[in-house]
Amino acid sequence: MQRRGFLALGGPGLAWAARGGRRPADLCGCALAPQPAGSNAFEGLRSGVAISGLKVFGVSLTRDSDRPYVFVKIETDQGVVGWGEGTLEGKAGAVMACVNDFRDFLIGADPMQVEHLWQSMYVQSFYRAGPVMGSAISGIDQALWDIRGKVLGMPVYKLLGGPIDARGVRGYYHTNASTRDELAKLRETAIQQGVSCFKAGIPGYYEWIETNAKIRRAVASLQTMREGLGPDIDIAIDFHAKTSPSVAQILVKEVEPLNLLFIEEPCPPENVAAMARIARHSTTPIATGERLVASYGCRELIEMGVIDILQTDINHVGGITGLWKAASLAGISGVSMAPHACEGPIGGLATLHVDAALPNFLVQEICGQVRPSAQDKIWEEWFGFPAMRMVDGRFPLRDRPGLGFELSEASLAKYPFGGTRPMARAFHEDGSVAEW
Amino acid sequence: MSMVTAHRRARLESFLAAQVAVAVSAQTANLEIDELRLYPVREPVSGRAWTVVRVGTRSGLAGYGECAHASSDDLAAAQRFWLARPATSYASAPADSPLAGAIDMALLDIVGKVAKAPVYRLLGGPTRSKARAFASAEGVGAGVKRAIEAGYRAVGVRVPAPAARNQGQAYQVELRKLVETVRSQAADFVLEGEGLLTPGDAASVAAAIQSLHPLWFDEPTTIGSLETLRKIADESVAPLGFGRDIRHAGVFQDLLRAGSLDVARPDILHFGITGSRRIAALAETYYVAVAPRHEGGPIATAAALHLAASLPNFFIQHIPLPAAAEDRAMRAQLAGGDLERVKDGFASLPNGPGLGVTVNEAVLEKYHAA
Repeated sequence: MQRRGFLALGGPGLAWAARGGRRPADLCGCALAPQPAGSNAFEGLRSGVAISGLKVFGVSLTRDSDRPYVFVKIETDQGVVGWGEGTLEGKAGAVMACVNDFRDFLIGADPMQVEHLWQSMYVQSFYRAGPVMGSAISGIDQALWDIRGKVLGMPVYKLLGGPIDARGVRGYYHTNASTRDELAKLRETAIQQGVSCFKAGIPGYYEWIETNAKIRRAVASLQTMREGLGPDIDIAIDFHAKTSPSVAQILVKEVEPLNLLFIEEPCPPENVAAMARIARHSTTPIATGERLVASYGCRELIEMGVIDILQTDINHVGGITGLWKAASLAGISGVSMAPHACEGPIGGLATLHVDAALPNFLVQEICGQVRPSAQDKIWEEWFGFPAMRMVDGRFPLRDRPGLGFELSEASLAKYPFGGTRPMARAFHEDGSVAEW
Repeated sequence: MSMVTAHRRARLESFLAAQVAVAVSAQTANLEIDELRLYPVREPVSGRAWTVVRVGTRSGLAGYGECAHASSDDLAAAQRFWLARPATSYASAPADSPLAGAIDMALLDIVGKVAKAPVYRLLGGPTRSKARAFASAEGVGAGVKRAIEAGYRAVGVRVPAPAARNQGQAYQVELRKLVETVRSQAADFVLEGEGLLTPGDAASVAAAIQSLHPLWFDEPTTIGSLETLRKIADESVAPLGFGRDIRHAGVFQDLLRAGSLDVARPDILHFGITGSRRIAALAETYYVAVAPRHEGGPIATAAALHLAASLPNFFIQHIPLPAAAEDRAMRAQLAGGDLERVKDGFASLPNGPGLGVTVNEAVLEKYHAA
């Protein structure tokens, strides 16, 4: 009986496929008959531009890079192209495949309908978004905004109602300085360059419960940093979820007198109540969000009054659309925005457009140092301007349409995809897995 | 290794694996439980008592576990449930039996022996190569010294017994002095409250010692109202450990949800390996570590070490370290001297299939607690 039923179902499904249709063989009885993309509902409302091509690039600055950039290029029948970024460390291949999975959602669609296409990709993927899909949608979303800005002849930050501050977007660099000498030099350079803020990682790896020696060492290192950089430079400390709530609550309390700008990810992000517990023990602002996807992923943290600062990343949260929505939620609760950016330059440049239009914007990260690196040189070679370098402590805004840059495929070809590399791993003394 | 050798070795290994698979399925057929026995034992000097449970199968395998006290009625009920059931069905154990923890250990011991694998491997480990350990010091001076000399780097020290409810300044001074004495002898310590303090006193003690960074404050008070415990957790950052009075896993869930628990301490004699693993899985979602309570004998120590090597969120294992040499000798004779040996603060994982313990039944008879 079951077998007959299976055959009866299989027959017409196979016939559909043979005719080139996309109706899936309905083996479990739950598949929907799909409607063609861009159904008649929008007849007469179309912009006249249609998506004609989708390309995804893996870009490895070095052959063994553990974070190859994932760049998305969307082409239109009017010749306008858009660029976006969906870099996800350690998962480049998966994001590239996921971008390609959205091809049918996009080819032939109107690129100006960003919100509509975002909804389609997120909602109609059924499982909602994890980081791989969030990053893929982010790359596509940025490219669509780029196209829309170019077609409308406006920078994206103007489409979003900015800039709120014409001087540009305040940012911070990372630093590894830890000795008094290094910190004194860093302070000098910062003052010369007008840089007003730095972020450093908390040293070491942490067990579930920590010893007196380890806690004292961590607190002392942050004290040295404050003393070395002085009272007038903002300091953010990234715990990188290396600490459990039990350890983090001690540290956030003991470093309270240092008036840090924020402490980032004092514990991993899945358990909002666990982070709330840490936040209750200190007035030091708590920041988190770089691993969160879509505004849905941030809601509980914001509503429960856990965080002071939200750090969602334009390359994972859902692009410009996702970042703007998460920021809007945050703003309503009085939470400030300090978006994460530790990937490639396209996401970096895109996030500046959103920052420039946020009333609750605090500061923008860039994973670079106060002295330009080899990476900064490559970025400048790609774009023809020093992308993601600050002037007087701010990232300048360019008055060009879209995301404000041109990029050629040929310039990327010098850095071919070196394959997905696993992320770094760290282990404790007994060989057990450590958060890093 | 040449390609040819590698290829040959791979073939040989797959052949051996097939042999093992056959052996296992043949023996599984004879794994019905046909014996369940209790051996109540007692350390001669300290009087610390526990019950060894022996489970036998039709195929002639024996597995051992430990629980606290169990009555003859409890034994009869357990026999009604377990006799003729297969030893592999350890997950079906009724949680409310006082023998549950012991039977869980014994069945895993048997399953490990059948599979010729240590229990931690059955459970997907090892997640670590050794297990951090601490011992409770009986008396600050000599007790701490004994633990350090035995290879421990962390000790448990009991709070001074309060003279009455709602202690004041004098008690705080005494406590600080105690903690400083311990600090001068051993870097790391667990402050053991043993439920002796009122919630108010527990909160003041936690606040007073938080900057001295004990590993955690254990059993700061007895578990009563959850809101009372939450107040202690809210008033300081000293990590809190609970488990002594907990007989239902749901209590751990309540404490975690209230944000009042930093170290989950399921009693290994009560929850066994499997019950503790379930609690650890819950604690993991709160980024909270597990440090099982253990006031039993060396078989439970072995079980706890296998548990530690099966968990991602194990932190430290309490191992009873009796003050009297005679008691320590009894434990060593019962299950072998290496099992409870600690070096540089860590215990080694037991070797051998199952729990990796060869139980000396003559010792069980000799120290029978009538």
